[in-house]
Amino acid sequence: MNRTRIVPLLCVLACGHGTRPPPQEHFALPSGALLKPFDPAKPGEARPLYTAQLGGRVYATLSNARAEGNFVVTAGPGFLASIDPFAGSVDLIDLGGSDGHQCTNPGVVREDGGKLYVACSGDFSGATPGRGVFEVDPTSKTVSRGLVTGMGHVPSGVAVTPTKIWLGDSSTPQLISVDRGTFTTADGSDANHPPIAVPCPSTGQFPFIPYVGIVNGDLYALCATTEAGMLARFDAQTGAAKGSTAVGAQPTEFAATGDGRIAVVNSNENTMTLVTPGATLTAQLALTFNSSTSTLQDVKARGRFVFTVASTSNTVQKIDLQAPGGPKVVADANTGLGSNPFNLEALDDDTVVVVNWATSNVVAPQLKPVQ
Amino acid sequence: MPRAFAAFRRSIRFAPPAVTALALIAAPVRARAEDARPEAEPVDIVVTAPEGSTRAPAAQATVVQADKFAGEVRSVAELLSTAPGVSVHALGGPGQATTLSLRGASADQSLVLLDGIPLHGPGGGAVDLASLPVSLLDRLVISRGVLGAQFGAGALGGVVELVPRRPRTDRLVADARLTGGSFGTFGASSSVSVPWNGEGGGLVALEVNRSAGDFRYDQQLTPEIGGAPYYEFTRANADSWRSSALLRGTWPIAGETGVDVLFQGSLGERGLPGPATSPTHRSRELDRSGLLGARFRSTAGSASYSVRAWGDLDRIELRGASAFGDCDDGASGCPSSLQSASAARGEVELGAPVGDRQWVRGSVTAGMDRASGDGTGFHRRGVFSASISDDVRLGALSVFPALRVDVVGKEAGVSPAIAATLRPWSVPIELRAGAGLSFRVPTFSELYLRQGGLAPNTDLAPEHGRSIDVGIAYRSESLTVSAGAFASWYRDLIVYELFPPAAVKPFNVGAARIRGFELQAVAKLRYGLTAELAYTALQASNTRPGTLEGHSLPYRPPHRLFVRVAHHAGRFESYAEANATASMPRNQFDTAFLPAQVLVNAGAGARVAGPLWIDVEAKNLLDDRTMQDLFQYPLPGLSLAVIARARL
Repeated sequence: MNRTRIVPLLCVLACGHGTRPPPQEHFALPSGALLKPFDPAKPGEARPLYTAQLGGRVYATLSNARAEGNFVVTAGPGFLASIDPFAGSVDLIDLGGSDGHQCTNPGVVREDGGKLYVACSGDFSGATPGRGVFEVDPTSKTVSRGLVTGMGHVPSGVAVTPTKIWLGDSSTPQLISVDRGTFTTADGSDANHPPIAVPCPSTGQFPFIPYVGIVNGDLYALCATTEAGMLARFDAQTGAAKGSTAVGAQPTEFAATGDGRIAVVNSNENTMTLVTPGATLTAQLALTFNSSTSTLQDVKARGRFVFTVASTSNTVQKIDLQAPGGPKVVADANTGLGSNPFNLEALDDDTVVVVNWATSNVVAPQLKPVQ
Repeated sequence: MPRAFAAFRRSIRFAPPAVTALALIAAPVRARAEDARPEAEPVDIVVTAPEGSTRAPAAQATVVQADKFAGEVRSVAELLSTAPGVSVHALGGPGQATTLSLRGASADQSLVLLDGIPLHGPGGGAVDLASLPVSLLDRLVISRGVLGAQFGAGALGGVVELVPRRPRTDRLVADARLTGGSFGTFGASSSVSVPWNGEGGGLVALEVNRSAGDFRYDQQLTPEIGGAPYYEFTRANADSWRSSALLRGTWPIAGETGVDVLFQGSLGERGLPGPATSPTHRSRELDRSGLLGARFRSTAGSASYSVRAWGDLDRIELRGASAFGDCDDGASGCPSSLQSASAARGEVELGAPVGDRQWVRGSVTAGMDRASGDGTGFHRRGVFSASISDDVRLGALSVFPALRVDVVGKEAGVSPAIAATLRPWSVPIELRAGAGLSFRVPTFSELYLRQGGLAPNTDLAPEHGRSIDVGIAYRSESLTVSAGAFASWYRDLIVYELFPPAAVKPFNVGAARIRGFELQAVAKLRYGLTAELAYTALQASNTRPGTLEGHSLPYRPPHRLFVRVAHHAGRFESYAEANATASMPRNQFDTAFLPAQVLVNAGAGARVAGPLWIDVEAKNLLDDRTMQDLFQYPLPGLSLAVIARARL
């Protein structure tokens, strides 16, 4: 066999999408001493939360927590797990800085321009170190830049534009922004540059921002109260309000779909809402989940499909937005009893990688089509 | 926030399931003649049941005679579920935590009394019915409605009075009962009642039971797809055992004067298996409880009075319970958790005729409640109440006004009520109507419990409720039919709300309106057959202004039907029954529902030799292994049991 034949053959085996091996069915995330516990006698476990995809790898934030009886205690610094789902290998990126307390309880992670941006909540009080937004260079596996947010702000969602990084606040219905060039606070820095108020439902208590993101160049933010939810749109540069619409109760995440809409999952009422951006935002109940115990945590979109995570029923779904009669669950998979899945990444139309909060592992369940 | 709700669900799973302690003292003096009815052997089916509670004589009530189910394996919860207006919430199979809801009210809003003594959980809240030994009871009286004026603060949905067995004063009676059945379930109970000193007597009753709880159940692993396949699982860590004792004595002094003493104790252990989607294999719960009470009763002229004192102690220990589910007991980060509660009371009660048409009754109670534990810290609060009620008989019309003042810690409130009955015709038809207003003081758990994702709120105020009901009853030798309608309104309901970023916390933000219809019929048929029916229609609506207004309250079945046909003759007995519950909302947005469920049971028995009866029974005859309770705890499929019993 001559060399000109060997090279294409190797490329078919190694380069082609259709020839790669399936992702590892399940593998554990690092725990214990690998997570650099504050007290070596009391190590934590990974407890993964949010995910992003970059360069064929899945990145997951690790809250690094342990149980003290019925309380969840932060065991060590926040980490970002760089996961090769096909090899089943994990590299850890320490977000804790020199003293280990730079970032604790990392939440949402976003990819933009080859960098990763992580929102860290600290101890959720808004008054102690560990909160802020951090830029991670996945190549060097280091934190390249970071900003500790001001007193009282507890970063939740993170959305990245070419000039600003927007952060939601999990204790108030506000947005703050970080200048991406200087990595200093922009909106929310002082009285002359106040935080951006997010319109919230008029019913229910304790409005907060669970998630923010950029869709078609606009900034979107969810506001959740105890019994309702709202999706609001803003100018991504100035923060000027550009309308809002009611979604379901306790929305958790949203994703831009292939047909230009926005899919929002509502954890308290087992529903998915589809929002159509236009001059105004219009929302439509798209799907009520069947199990009645879903507790939807995540939604990711890929073409005509969206993929959702239901943490209480320990399942992930593939939903066809163009199914006859409206969006339908066309495939479903179980992530393991007691696994409490939290986020997923769709590698292709039929392959997902899921991080399980309760079992601190990664699974690639086989999506079983509806018969 | 999802994590917070997950934590809340876990807290529900591990929440101290209430008490175990029962106890009692003598019933009110006026009830003694009724209590002393002869014990029938073999079981006599009572069609025209006693009218209900002596404290709330005009309330919509159902009396369940425990003896009627002597040939069956029944828990207190199963006995209650034969009555209208009752909804039982069970966390799994035999021996697992069980609470009740009366007329759609929450478990915290319904009182469970043992001979007038209110029982409570270790956090001061709902009583775990699974901890109550059924063989020590004579009957259960379920009174429905806002009955704070008659029973005290907290009776917003109604009251269950557990009437314990009384000592015989005429002859020695002994009985014994052995049961064995599916899932490694065994039970034994025995009692001896000895008369003494003329009108006196003593009773010793013991009960032990255990269950391996390892039943099989079916579960969907991909439930978001309609028609997804079921897979078979075996329940693990659902075993339980319990031992209970009742000691009771009555000593006559002279005439109606006498002293009654009672002790009741219970201890048990069970696994906490967790919901089907997140089973926990290492979590355990141990509990023990005890109650001691004494009562002096006497008469002065035509008046009767009593002075009584009682105290109880409940203690519960959780092992292997973790914020992440379960853990190895004793390991680092896995400490056991203790919670205990106690109460002590002194009470003076007086009843006297006023003229020949009225009987006025008054009482004053004072005492102390205490709770301590890892989750709540140490707290105590004084308790005081004063009540007055009247029974006015005006020919065919009887009127029952009542008023009670309760002071619990820093909270105080007044509970007024009025009820009336009318028998306008010569036929045995009775019309009833009643109205009541009352409140519920926050429990120690709601005020102070900090555990996992639960946050306390010391600023909580009492919940308030009011209700009206009307009813009609027909009673003859062979048929009893009662029907009634009610409406209840609640405000300042304590609701656990998300408290960002990662906790849930109780607030006085709820409001609700619950309306319903209740029907009960018992008919004595030919050939020794008895048929009975209990039906409840319930419409529970959220009236809290906002998005939820007009939605259904979760966990309240809109329809529930119980039917039973029993046959009894001198040497044989049998029964068949069905309990159907309509689909009910699982969340407060009407977007999730628990499917309708039908449970069919049947049994038969014979007196095989002398006083020895042997019975067999089958529960869940349809072998539906897909049934779950409200919180995704699987329920057992078909189970079989054999019961041997004798009374001398």
